[in-house]
Amino acid sequence: MVLNVKKISKNFGGIQALTDVSFSINEGEILGIIGPNGAGKTTMFNMITSFYTPSSGEITFKDEVISGLKPHKITDKGICRTFQNIRLFPEMTVLDNVLVGTHSRTVSGVLKSVLRTKSQKQEENNIRAKAMDLLETVNLLDQYDDIAKNLSYGQQRRLEIARALASDPKLILLDEPAAGMNERETAELHHLIMKIKEMGITILLIEHDMPLVMKTCDRLVVLNFGKKIAEGDPEEIQKDPEVIKAYLGTEEDDESA
Amino acid sequence: MLGEFINPYYLQVASFILINIILALSIYITLASGQLSLGSAGFMAIGAYTTALLTTNFEVSIIVGIIAGTLLAGILGIIIGIPSLRLTGVFLAIATLGFGEIVRVVLINTEEITRGAIGISGIPQLGKEILTFFEGFGFDPNNLGLTPNQFVFSAIFLVLLIIDILLIWFFLRQKNSRVGRAYSAINMDEDAAATMGINVTYYKVLSFTQGAILAGFAGALYAHVLSYISPADFSYHKAVEILVFSVFGGSEVVVGAIFGASFLTLLPEILRSISDYRFMIYGVLLVVMMAYRPQGIIDERMLRWVKKRFKGGKKDGTKREEN
Repeated sequence: MVLNVKKISKNFGGIQALTDVSFSINEGEILGIIGPNGAGKTTMFNMITSFYTPSSGEITFKDEVISGLKPHKITDKGICRTFQNIRLFPEMTVLDNVLVGTHSRTVSGVLKSVLRTKSQKQEENNIRAKAMDLLETVNLLDQYDDIAKNLSYGQQRRLEIARALASDPKLILLDEPAAGMNERETAELHHLIMKIKEMGITILLIEHDMPLVMKTCDRLVVLNFGKKIAEGDPEEIQKDPEVIKAYLGTEEDDESA
Repeated sequence: MLGEFINPYYLQVASFILINIILALSIYITLASGQLSLGSAGFMAIGAYTTALLTTNFEVSIIVGIIAGTLLAGILGIIIGIPSLRLTGVFLAIATLGFGEIVRVVLINTEEITRGAIGISGIPQLGKEILTFFEGFGFDPNNLGLTPNQFVFSAIFLVLLIIDILLIWFFLRQKNSRVGRAYSAINMDEDAAATMGINVTYYKVLSFTQGAILAGFAGALYAHVLSYISPADFSYHKAVEILVFSVFGGSEVVVGAIFGASFLTLLPEILRSISDYRFMIYGVLLVVMMAYRPQGIIDERMLRWVKKRFKGGKKDGTKREEN
């Protein structure tokens, strides 16, 4: 068990965004979180990465409590994420974006950076080589010197993944990586996610693209109105009456509407 | 013969340019992490008054005085920087402006120590001290064909030039490193930077403190170049003037600070007749710049273009030179 979410609740003023949600992720698996808009999926991500502190409950990563740590400490521990509304460093080059991702795995401070000591040069060479490798993995090698904001939407999404991978995560959180992608790009994304899995990285995926989710995930957690309504493998979830109700509504809903 | 080429007036202007470059760098480096500080005049005053009071009252050497002034400005930078972390954008600008005004008012009102609005005169002059030092070895500026006055101004110019080159070298290297990348990441998106493992608090305080140190250092040098300082030198006008150096030249890049400080220091000297209208011109420049080119005359894109042009688009991902 890599990540364990125990009875997490979060309320913003009077709004209950999440209520007693618990689930866990096993090492090496791809866990999908699905649910209608506003179900609390991204709130859950923000909680795991410590952008929000839970109102109650606890999150442990490798048996260590991580809720309440500063966001950059979470990255140090080995959890990194991408954002639903792409948040690259828009004015930096593609390569520099990935280099920033290596921050938590490098150590050079002001003095070493200015004096260009041997260890600093070694470090820079290593992370540049690593960044180029990652760009090759996400198929952006030719664009390494382009400004990030000039990339196409799908390329920006892949760059965000490369940047997150640069921090050597044990667990990567992908927030709607297929949003805005066409079918071909989505198929490539599926291969990329499988490649990440082969690297030995555990994946937590939020996604609305159901064919991709069903094809990619080993297990699914379904949220609706901040509560977990189902958990299981993709086949089970597809047949679950609660889930169908959440997505399609029921006949009574139609009548009352 | 060397003497014929050396004009103390030009050297003095050049020296002011060099000091202003340090001040513009202090704005550049705080802006690099996305913080707009108007406290540079305040930090400058701290540096200037610290060394002025130490060297005039306690027989302390210039070097020790300058170091003390710079360090005190840096320490105050940390003290102001930490609570200011909660503030961003215009709120930080207002808070740091308040700090600068407090420093100035304190200087005016502690007359027993600072002589208030009259200011401090007779501060040991950097060039003269260098001359006395060399004369101790039996050196005579006439041997170089220079009058003592010419030697004094040349010495100041050369010392400042070396300091500036070292500082520019420092910040160019820092920019193209792990620290510089952390600064620009914070500047572009603080949350994303934190997600990438960057300790936002640490780097913001670091960049704010670097700015304070630079301003304090420039202030200390200023005191020993002019040998007279008063609180009026470090007023709100000065803070805005320093800001304009960097914003006009281009606040994203080191060369922007150099260009802005040089151009705007030279401008009133060349156009002597309109120097009274300097602040009006600054105002107009700022308005026009904000409307049409908010990033300043020189920006990243321009440098990239120049580099591609002159290096013939070198295909090498592992080495990209400073900008």
